[in-house]
Amino acid sequence: MENEEALAVAFAAHERSAFAQAYRQYASLLYSAAYNVLGNRDEAQDSVHDAIAKLWRSPAAYSEKRGSLRSFLVVCVRNEAISRRRRAANRARLSGRLASFAQEPAELDAGDPIERDRLRHAVARLPGDQRTPLAMAFYDGKTHTEIAAELQQPLGTIKSRISLGLRKLAAALRADASGSGAS
Amino acid sequence: MNGHVDDRAALYALGSLDEREAEAVRAHVAACLSCAQAIGAAEAEVDAAAEHEPQFAAPAALRSRIDRMLSEQPAASRRASGVVARPAYAPWLALAAAFIIGVLPSAYFLGENRRMHDAMGVQSAAMDRLATSTHRVAAFRPMPAMPEGSSASVAYGSSGQWYVVVVKDVSRSLGVAWMHDGQQTMLGQAVPHGNVAMLFLPKSHRMDRLALVDDGQVVAQASLHY
Repeated sequence: MENEEALAVAFAAHERSAFAQAYRQYASLLYSAAYNVLGNRDEAQDSVHDAIAKLWRSPAAYSEKRGSLRSFLVVCVRNEAISRRRRAANRARLSGRLASFAQEPAELDAGDPIERDRLRHAVARLPGDQRTPLAMAFYDGKTHTEIAAELQQPLGTIKSRISLGLRKLAAALRADASGSGAS
Repeated sequence: MNGHVDDRAALYALGSLDEREAEAVRAHVAACLSCAQAIGAAEAEVDAAAEHEPQFAAPAALRSRIDRMLSEQPAASRRASGVVARPAYAPWLALAAAFIIGVLPSAYFLGENRRMHDAMGVQSAAMDRLATSTHRVAAFRPMPAMPEGSSASVAYGSSGQWYVVVVKDVSRSLGVAWMHDGQQTMLGQAVPHGNVAMLFLPKSHRMDRLALVDDGQVVAQASLHY
């Protein structure tokens, strides 16, 4: 595959070689997305495998008109990992993560500390009413109904705040990366 | 789902919808381009955040698992819109002739090479599980019809999430079956390479009784304990 666009078209056409190439191209990103949700090597591998297997069995799961193949795959794997964690009722592992940004689990310290700080700072700069529900969704994998119940806020309010917070977070990360010359 | 996804795009991309809601979103975006693009934009935002989380190298064994899955499972039917019809006329005859004369012998060896590669991938994945996960081992109890001189055992994850069946000194494939509720569910074939046959089941549910099957007949059984 010469570029990402050609890969996306071939992936949308359900070509076996495109599936294999997409995995090779984004392997670390996909594995990391799952590992950061689950904190477990075997479970993370199973999540990546199962997410791609589901796509392989689905004739029209992806269209290049939708947007980036890479982003689509990251979300598919993250959602598979979140579902797996929910099914296993294994919330305790990361439940303290929101309250303790400064205390990352030791096994996650292998990641790039600069990148981790960028994300942490970008989350911290969000207004509190957006930061809290967004972090509960992103880090704890909670559903919007659970977040609304915990924060005692109307469901519609939580949806809007998460949506707005995510847009601001992504914009801040992009601005931060371009300002510092990072990719 | 009646309306467009609206705020649910971010919730979907974050994994914050329950499975029923997520399925409704997937069904809707399959037929609604503007919502598909809204979901795509939200996916890019989650991707931007995920990219700034700690990054880890993917284990080598995972690539083998993915390649094996892609080669074993039949591809879903391609979308009609995504497939370009190709003409089937005379030039194909010439190509077919060239294929038979020039390519077929090479293809045989390529196929053999591919099978060997796949087998190595399976062995690598199995070895990775054995090396990195806590597991138990149970021996198969041979019955009279067991191939002479053969012995077999199964190593399995301590929660029954994976199984590696190994048959030594065997020259032909043996079926591996799960025995339960008076039934026999075939799981696959332990295929010999050299004089050792192996079947790796990377993801399964807890099974407490396995059998080896040769030509429809149970030739050995193993009891698994958790």
